[in-house]
Amino acid sequence: MTGNSENILEINSIEVMYDSVISALHDVSLNVPKGKIVALLGGNGAGKSTTLKSISTMLAAERGKVTKGSIIYDGTEVKNQSPYEMVALGMVQVLEGRRCFGHLTVEENIIAGAYSRKLKKSQIKDELEKIYGYFNRLRDRRKSQAGFTSGGEQQMIAVARAMMAKPKMLLLDEPSMGLAPQLVAEIFNIVRELNQKEGVSILLAEQNTNVALRNADYGYIIETGHVMLHGTADELLNDEKVKELYLGISKEGRKNFRDVLREEANKKSA
Amino acid sequence: MTEVLFFIEVVVAGLLAGTMYSLVALGFVLIYKASSTFNFAQGAMVFFAVLAFVGFMELGLPFSLAFVVTVLLMVLVGFCTERMVLNPLMNQSEDTLLMATIGLGFVLEGLAQAAWGVEVRRLDLGIGDFPIEWIIDVFGLFVSALDLTAGIVAAVLIIGLALIFKYTRMGLGLRAVADDPGAASSIGIPLKNIMLLVWSAAGVVALVAGMMWGARAGVQFALVDLALKALPVLIIGGFSSIPGAIIGGLIIGATEKVLEVYVGPFFGGAIEGWAPYVLAIFFLLYRPEGLFGEKIIRRV
Repeated sequence: MTGNSENILEINSIEVMYDSVISALHDVSLNVPKGKIVALLGGNGAGKSTTLKSISTMLAAERGKVTKGSIIYDGTEVKNQSPYEMVALGMVQVLEGRRCFGHLTVEENIIAGAYSRKLKKSQIKDELEKIYGYFNRLRDRRKSQAGFTSGGEQQMIAVARAMMAKPKMLLLDEPSMGLAPQLVAEIFNIVRELNQKEGVSILLAEQNTNVALRNADYGYIIETGHVMLHGTADELLNDEKVKELYLGISKEGRKNFRDVLREEANKKSA
Repeated sequence: MTEVLFFIEVVVAGLLAGTMYSLVALGFVLIYKASSTFNFAQGAMVFFAVLAFVGFMELGLPFSLAFVVTVLLMVLVGFCTERMVLNPLMNQSEDTLLMATIGLGFVLEGLAQAAWGVEVRRLDLGIGDFPIEWIIDVFGLFVSALDLTAGIVAAVLIIGLALIFKYTRMGLGLRAVADDPGAASSIGIPLKNIMLLVWSAAGVVALVAGMMWGARAGVQFALVDLALKALPVLIIGGFSSIPGAIIGGLIIGATEKVLEVYVGPFFGGAIEGWAPYVLAIFFLLYRPEGLFGEKIIRRV
């Protein structure tokens, strides 16, 4: 299974428990090929965030633990590393809900992202210029306190801050959360640009299935801690079940997940 | 005219004594900023630091060397605290950490007394608690040399810390951690190093505060309780603000002296002891975040 150098990340059927009793993931396997964008889709509580946190090792801070399976990132097994060590290896997570440093200015927020790289003042300036090239909107706002910027700007700050760590791989947790469609499109455009120009591989967790699949190369759909479906973005966009359950397009009107499962079960027993 | 001069004298003496409160409060603010914990061991750290300093002097070390050795000792205390107390309790609730600092306080008090004994020591900084003559000549005011020194030392320390926080990489890391430890660690800021930095800085501040207080009141166990005076200072100034600690200290110092002199006689004196707490209660009622505390930023 392991050793496929095409993939920057390989997750082999991991199980995750919180507080040693609450099981959040049962059997999740996925691969992220180098330089690609992979979408991790599913509803609330499906296990998207947990999957991302087990990769970035932020799980320990919430008393969670990977109890089975393995995570191989860039040839090394992710086990007891600290988030700090993962960042040094080039893996950075953008947490759900943006989590900007509200009392710092926009620019200080972005510079904080380069903390682990121990850069000189002049190097930081160059890096900042490069980042502002992608996030034009932030250049004008750089002296304002981050807590007072808009939701879209805060999401940009969070991504820009993560990019300052010069990641090989970026984990994005719900970048579209609470944003207007236009802003969502803007942010996904930037994410795609970063992917293409900087060559950074991306694993993104999203509830907004439509936008995520339109921007990703590959998708995984998880429900209650299991991978239910996976395929290329186009395959998933055209899949009848995905259309019905996640995109809300159906010939026979609305349906919920349980109905579909029941139909499937009936089909099988029949 | 002498009435006015006397009033000014009282206020100035109060302000300068207040800087000593500010120094103690500063130690609390540093740790509160980084870990949102009220460090109950701060008073014990003050006592521990200055007792060790006097102890080293008694062993025959010169002033400057004793100071350097004690600073190193406080860094070591900070390191051990991070490794043995904070790190194992990482991700526990703030209440747990609070209890841990109370325990840490007892350990430090015990260690200090076990190592250096329990008798009251005298600390001679070479600066007397006497009025400075040229100030008497020029302004006609009686200002204690020790008070004035404490004021200057506090000012230098505070400006130094403010500059470090604003303009260095470590300072930026500290402010990031203070804002959101989770987000800070997600972008690779090592919480461990930041905690070590903060506890060491708090240790050095404790040493300086202990030296100032020790020179005035003697190096003794009562220094531990003195730290409690920092509580009203912090309530007035705001727990998370360095300027707040300073201004809070000045306000407490000046009001308690003025009240003591002008209102005290009606209560039979010694209202210095409780007046600051009354002031603190009014602040809790009408401005709970303090004068300079960071308000929680909410977008509308």
